[in-house]
Amino acid sequence: MDMNEIKEIFFQECEEQLAELESGLLKLNDGDRDPETVNAVFRAVHSIKGGAGAFGLDDLVSFAHVFETTLDCVRSNKLEPSQDVLKVMLKSADVLADLVSASRDGGSVEESRTRTLVKELEALANGEAPPAAHAEAPKPAAAKAEAAKPTDDSGFEPVPFTFEGFGDDEEPAVQGSTYEISFKPRRELYSKGNEAALLLRDLSRLGEMSINCDMDALPDLDKMDPEDSYFSWKVSIKTSKSEDDIRSVFEFAEWDCDLEVKLAAADARDEELPMVPVPFDLSALDETPIAEEKPASAPVAAVSKPASAAPARAEKKESPAAAAAAAAQNNAAAAAAAAGQTIRVDLDRVDRLINLVGELVINQAMLSQSVVENDATGTSAVNMGLEELQQLTREIQDSVMAIRAQPVKPVFQRMSRIVREVADMVGKSIRLVTEGENTEVDKTVIDKIAEPLTHMIRNAVDHGIESPEKREAAGKDPEGTIKLTAKHRSGRILIELQDDGGGINRERVRQKAIDNDLISPDANLSDEEIDNLIFAPGFSTADAISDISGRGVGMDVVKRSIQALGGRISISSRPGLGSTFTMSLPLTLAVLDGMVVTVAGQTLVVPLTAIVETLQPEASAIHSFGATQRLISIRNSFCPLVDVGRILNFRATQANPVEGVALLVESEGGGQRALMVDAIQGQRQVVIKSLEANYTHVPGIAAATILGDGRVALILDVDAVVAASRGQSMKPEMSLAATG
Amino acid sequence: MAPKKAAPGSLKLSSVLDLNEASALHGKLMAMRGSNVTIDASQVERIGVQCGQVLVAGAKAWQSDKKSFLVEKASDAFEKTMQLIGIDGANLVAKEI
Repeated sequence: MDMNEIKEIFFQECEEQLAELESGLLKLNDGDRDPETVNAVFRAVHSIKGGAGAFGLDDLVSFAHVFETTLDCVRSNKLEPSQDVLKVMLKSADVLADLVSASRDGGSVEESRTRTLVKELEALANGEAPPAAHAEAPKPAAAKAEAAKPTDDSGFEPVPFTFEGFGDDEEPAVQGSTYEISFKPRRELYSKGNEAALLLRDLSRLGEMSINCDMDALPDLDKMDPEDSYFSWKVSIKTSKSEDDIRSVFEFAEWDCDLEVKLAAADARDEELPMVPVPFDLSALDETPIAEEKPASAPVAAVSKPASAAPARAEKKESPAAAAAAAAQNNAAAAAAAAGQTIRVDLDRVDRLINLVGELVINQAMLSQSVVENDATGTSAVNMGLEELQQLTREIQDSVMAIRAQPVKPVFQRMSRIVREVADMVGKSIRLVTEGENTEVDKTVIDKIAEPLTHMIRNAVDHGIESPEKREAAGKDPEGTIKLTAKHRSGRILIELQDDGGGINRERVRQKAIDNDLISPDANLSDEEIDNLIFAPGFSTADAISDISGRGVGMDVVKRSIQALGGRISISSRPGLGSTFTMSLPLTLAVLDGMVVTVAGQTLVVPLTAIVETLQPEASAIHSFGATQRLISIRNSFCPLVDVGRILNFRATQANPVEGVALLVESEGGGQRALMVDAIQGQRQVVIKSLEANYTHVPGIAAATILGDGRVALILDVDAVVAASRGQSMKPEMSLAATG
Repeated sequence: MAPKKAAPGSLKLSSVLDLNEASALHGKLMAMRGSNVTIDASQVERIGVQCGQVLVAGAKAWQSDKKSFLVEKASDAFEKTMQLIGIDGANLVAKEI
């Protein structure tokens, strides 16, 4: 593995750390005060700094260092993570992300941005740290000193960073550095099952250790609470290990103690404390049933005898004293191990695999078909084997698809940055609330929704949410809220973007549409239809941006992107209360379970997820409604009957329902329709081939597939057909799509 | 895990002196206030900081009572733990005056 590959891994890890950082900061922003959250945030920045140091990425190290210093103040409760503080932190996270990108892709980050934030971070580390509770601790001063250092590389300590499998000579470890550690456990440390003695024992194993126990806080015997914590320690340890290694000893107790680790000045120990050397041989503390009675010759004097030389400090079993602590640690370690059992695979390889599996599915279908044609009885060994092959193919396909399924979280996280930046730019205060971030969807879908979503979020911030003054005047919270939700519904993913802004100004939208010749002045449009006009291409005009209080900027582009994904987008808006955009997208762009049907001599595939049931209509169940509409009576309720062949213009007149089959479908909007087809051929999984990519968008058709006999079959867009059958949304939706 | 029955003025420490034992140990010592005491730590396999705190507070209390407080016997584990956590022999002894 060469250095470039390692660097690439570092950048991949940076992405993960940045995501961790942002999600932690957002949690804090929402009032989460779990120490582990702060810890995770700190660790993320610290890891980035560590790696960046190893690669000599000085700008990144400089900024991460200042950031980390301020985070450390939060970590040690010296700085309250208030909204203002978090605002700076979130901005810093953005800059850190930009610095990572700049380091990876070349380029640079605007220096003024970095400089401003460095100053803000330093100010937080210096000024706003509450001095009271920890006044005696030297940390604020240290933080100040550190933060005040120049941000060039001379201001930073080298951060040891090692790669497994790399020779020691690649990254020289710190040889024999002496660290001063101040360790003051709190009561909780013990009550949670940790034991300071064991932590000190583990620490002593890192090197040559001397210790001073500060007993000043110990009250009189009759006043003490035996379960409270009074002792604290100053430890000096000479070790070849890094500060991180030292800190990792306290990893699971960190939040229940005050801990400081610093490199000791060259010769001088800053304290003139009587340090007692700690023996290396602590084996007596390691195993329980040793306890051989050993009367001390002189009472207790032996306790302070100097340490003997250091044999046998090899691997030792965990003392049962640590049982509770160890249990917690083990759980955490197990979780970490489970999380760590992943491999990184080049996306191209997965894609290649998916394509091959797609071909395999088609091939298998063709093979099946030709075998069936030659084996009418269906009992031959080949036929049986083929069924197994079909099963296996299906499993392979499912497994391969699962590899690509990813939570939408990263995209949602990116949106919070957009909200912050745009809100800052336009002087609004907006909170982004996300729900269902762990909803999984194919990576291709994730990659492709980022852009339209960004566009919509920008719009929501810029135009959807009113200015704080307007909001206050309307009796609303001056801080606007944008809610981003993801959920699975009937085999698709539904993403909703909801704002609590002013809603769409329908009058203006209507006027705009008339001005742009999108509708005639006397058109009688429902509210929904007016709202949906914003998706018309004619709305992407410059003056619409500032004039229309609701939406209007490039929403046609958004709609086209969503449609290209086989998705749909709709809007519902309530004046004064806000708007909701709903996007419905397929979970995967690769395969689909479908019912293969015949309509006017054509083979179509209807997505199985949309079908509720199939039925053979009886003449008595069919009722006419108006001139052309027909209804079918199903279990005492009426459902509109839609002739697919007619809607898609496959035939000029409606077919006789009694001669066909009705597929009862449910659309995204929740309405039911009975789709009339001529016959059902069967049910199978089909590989989706994009019509947009290979041909062009066809209204009412979602995509295409290749059947076992090699013919192309179209996959029905059930919602579009249902909408078309209503006669209302069809025209704007389908005609716009056709022109787009 | 209370200490076994011991002669008046002597306290035999349990083998495991963890967080759970700190209060018991504290109670025992409180009950022995006013008399000289010798501590037998020979059976100690494990001792945590909190019991260490109680013992040090005990030695201080005995010191102020001007009574003797002496750790007479100590197991290796006891000694090493005390040394590890920086408790000197002097912290665990009080002399009768």
